[in-house]
Amino acid sequence: MEKSLFQFIWKNSARYQVAILLVTILSYPVSYILLDLPKTITNEAIQGSNFPVELFGMQLGQIQYLAVLCILFLVLVVVSNCIKLYLNVYKGRLGERMLRQLRFELFQRVLRFRLPHFKKVSSGEIIPMITAEVEDVGGFVGEAFALPAYQGGMLVVQVGFIFMQDPLLGLAAISLYPVQGYIIPKLQQKVVRLSRQRVKNVRVIADKVGESISGISEIHSNDTSAWHSADLSDRLYRNFRIRFDIYNRKYFIKFVNNFMNQLTPFFFYFIGGYLVIKGQLSIGALIAVIAAYKDLAGPWKELLAYYQMTADVSVKYQTVVENFDPPDLYDKQRLLDDESLVLTGSLTLDKLGLSGVGTGQEVHNVSLNVEPGKPLAVSGVDGSGRAELLQMAAGLLSPTSGSVTINNTNFESMPEATLGRQIAYVGGHLHVWTGTIRDNLFYGLRHRPQEKVEYEGSDLRKRQRQLKEAAMTLNPYFDLKARWEDYELADAGSMQQLEDKALELCKVAGFSRDLYLLGVETVINPNETEELNGGLMPKLVEARKALREKIQNDTKLQNLVEFWDPEKFNMSANLAQNLFFASPKEHFMTIEHVPTDPQISAFLKETGFDVLLADIGLKIAKTMVELFADVSADSDLLNRYSFISREDLPEFARIVNDQKGEQRRKRLKDVDRARLIALALKLIPAKHRLGVLDDDMREKILAARKQFMETVGKDNERFEFFDPDTYLTTLSIEDNLVFGHARLDRRDARQKIQQVLQELVRERDLIAPIRRAAFDYQVGIAGAKLSSHQRRLICLVRALLKNAHIYVLDETANSVSATDKTLREDLRKLMSDKILMFGVSNESVAEEFSTTLHLENGRVIER
Amino acid sequence: MTIDAEVQALSRVPLFQGLEPSKLRLLAFISDRMEFQDGEHLCHQGDDGDSAFVVLSGEVAVFVDENEVAKVGQYAIIGEIAILCDVPRTATLQSVGTTHILAISKDDFLKLIAEFPKVSLEIMRVLALRLEKTTRELAQARPAST
Repeated sequence: MEKSLFQFIWKNSARYQVAILLVTILSYPVSYILLDLPKTITNEAIQGSNFPVELFGMQLGQIQYLAVLCILFLVLVVVSNCIKLYLNVYKGRLGERMLRQLRFELFQRVLRFRLPHFKKVSSGEIIPMITAEVEDVGGFVGEAFALPAYQGGMLVVQVGFIFMQDPLLGLAAISLYPVQGYIIPKLQQKVVRLSRQRVKNVRVIADKVGESISGISEIHSNDTSAWHSADLSDRLYRNFRIRFDIYNRKYFIKFVNNFMNQLTPFFFYFIGGYLVIKGQLSIGALIAVIAAYKDLAGPWKELLAYYQMTADVSVKYQTVVENFDPPDLYDKQRLLDDESLVLTGSLTLDKLGLSGVGTGQEVHNVSLNVEPGKPLAVSGVDGSGRAELLQMAAGLLSPTSGSVTINNTNFESMPEATLGRQIAYVGGHLHVWTGTIRDNLFYGLRHRPQEKVEYEGSDLRKRQRQLKEAAMTLNPYFDLKARWEDYELADAGSMQQLEDKALELCKVAGFSRDLYLLGVETVINPNETEELNGGLMPKLVEARKALREKIQNDTKLQNLVEFWDPEKFNMSANLAQNLFFASPKEHFMTIEHVPTDPQISAFLKETGFDVLLADIGLKIAKTMVELFADVSADSDLLNRYSFISREDLPEFARIVNDQKGEQRRKRLKDVDRARLIALALKLIPAKHRLGVLDDDMREKILAARKQFMETVGKDNERFEFFDPDTYLTTLSIEDNLVFGHARLDRRDARQKIQQVLQELVRERDLIAPIRRAAFDYQVGIAGAKLSSHQRRLICLVRALLKNAHIYVLDETANSVSATDKTLREDLRKLMSDKILMFGVSNESVAEEFSTTLHLENGRVIER
Repeated sequence: MTIDAEVQALSRVPLFQGLEPSKLRLLAFISDRMEFQDGEHLCHQGDDGDSAFVVLSGEVAVFVDENEVAKVGQYAIIGEIAILCDVPRTATLQSVGTTHILAISKDDFLKLIAEFPKVSLEIMRVLALRLEKTTRELAQARPAST
């Protein structure tokens, strides 16, 4: 990678830089004429006398002449500003392109880092480098060559003019430039050094913040927040100090520069005045020179600013780039090659060694051979080198001595297209990607786009533009919208078959039950999986009806659920659900947002419900304030039972107080009204039993419910109504099936319903479709919504699905439990023609395998 | 039925007789109102007791060792010892017909007591009176048995 900023800019944008330069030079005569024209207008058109004048062969009177010059002036204003606009956009665009290219190059380099390198760099440091730190490069690129050329040119012209007037004055004008040229870089050097420190310090801050977030539970469990606060505060102070130093120097440079610039006129007045008095220089020439010198200050200032910016951006560029150039970077081709060899035969580890990494991670002189169909168990405690050996066998880690070969081909010479597709590795540290379970299961099949998306019309133009930009910035052409899953790798012909296959493998891995449980919680996304779930939704609606019948006809289950019924008030649901009888399609829409939503507040106003709800809210607030007023703040009675939080209670107490008494109430403020309405909407009559709803009110709510549906319209973008005959895409499968609320006053109602639900789902053969629906389950940030066991199983199924030749499983299904034992047997069966290396810490588990290898301290121990 | 009816029911329970109405309201609010169908069990003999039951409407049959020993009706409180100390349920309770019950959980009741010492004084007084009564009865019963 280019070590210096200018190398990088010139290498990647020389053509564009020249273009910018040419346009800049082109603009010069235009702006010159534009500056000169006003003088002509005043001197010749307004104050002139020799009319008519001849212009391009035409005789023009004074007024006509004035008009022509003014129109010319107008045209030039337009032209010069257009050039400026064009130039600015051009520079901005070039800057953004270069920035994109730089950032992509940096990210690609991260992908090329060898595994051990990540022990030395942290994501907290790398992220700001790729995002924030290089940001300034973008703004600089467009100016890199044009600015010094343009302003430098201006400077030379002005200095030349002064020299032409009088060489001595010329010398005086530039007399201090050498001094400035000497002092300023000296000062700037120090600034550069400080900038470097600052960048590094900010990086440390980013890293510390990142580390605090990932270690947050440790901070809380050890009460070390004070220590971390102090640590970070110290860094922030250091940042302040560096910044302050930089400011001091930066403005001192400005000071020196300004001072010197104004020192020069001193010479002009002194020497020039002397010359004028002696009669060696005309007074007119002296004034002209002083005026010209004034014009010198502009370019000079710009050049200085440019110089400072260059120094600043350069140092940023260098401090970033030096981190992306480790000597052992993987070859680029290893990443880019798309040719995947099909590996066959046995795997040979020859005198494999790994050293210089850390104690407990070393491997010494291990040689072995694994044949397909003859699984090998590698046993060894944590720190025996087992994990490292297996990672080397999986092609993830490069050995420091010896080699890993298959069919005499060394892993080191294979591209990732082969290693990543022919080898499956599930190790101690695994990663589940944020997204759906589907994304994660099929992750191992997403090597390259598998089809070309056919675009038409404006989409085609958009795509072409995207491709053009990619070409200009050396970015890849891959289409993210295309299908990436390679069905063939999993021996499947379609997404449907692939899912079948995945379900089968989930069963082998023992993930089926979890899938069902996740499935009922899944909110089906109709847009993404229409063809796959199209048949499911009507079936679920049927099941919903059957479930309702079942619950209603069974004396034991009766009254466990209060179903959504458009004609009935649901005592177990809150007022919001009862009133609107819909669920919002926007995720951010919580009850707090409801009263301020324009559409809803208009509806409430129209129906008079704003007043009714505020009244209910006030009654609730009154009761809550009464009940909980003298409950101490640290009692959790308040948080558990009051639906006003402790923080909000005083606020509601104030509202209640304001509205007390018979005399004219204080006008309710809109904010307070919204609060009261939100409070009322949260009321669940069966739970809170406050007696604020009478039959009349309930009737009103039912009437308003109909009105709301009519106002908003059944098919609208924002709300989905609780219609017993349609599947709701905003609710989970379980909520759709139950289609109501478990009664709060019936003991264990929810558990009982879930049990009935499961029976019904089984009867109706919906278990498999629901498991399939679980593929759309959102797993949360890095799988946070899954248990660690579930995450491991997902990674295992991911590995199984990609049908690799070599399987390296470490710390997976390696306990002595019965389920793990069966899973191991199944895995061995499944891999009867594949190479399997199985890492275990428990030796008794290893004994299940026909061949075993025991490691201690990185060495093979013979038994 | 609203919280006011529950407060009324609670005020008839001897154990809570001395409590101020506002505290009774809070107690009613933090208790769970439950509905039990005919034959449904409120609790089983031998289970850990975690709540007391106040019958709001309907009837509850009390079984000890599978023999029905009593039926209790509206405003009766059953299992109140469970909210004061850890003892296993001494009887099985079964709903006769549809009943409505106010279940007072032990945890919440203890929190209420911790919150308002006056409440505990009242309870203590009731318990002391009971103890005194029992002691007197025992004293009277003893000479008769010998």
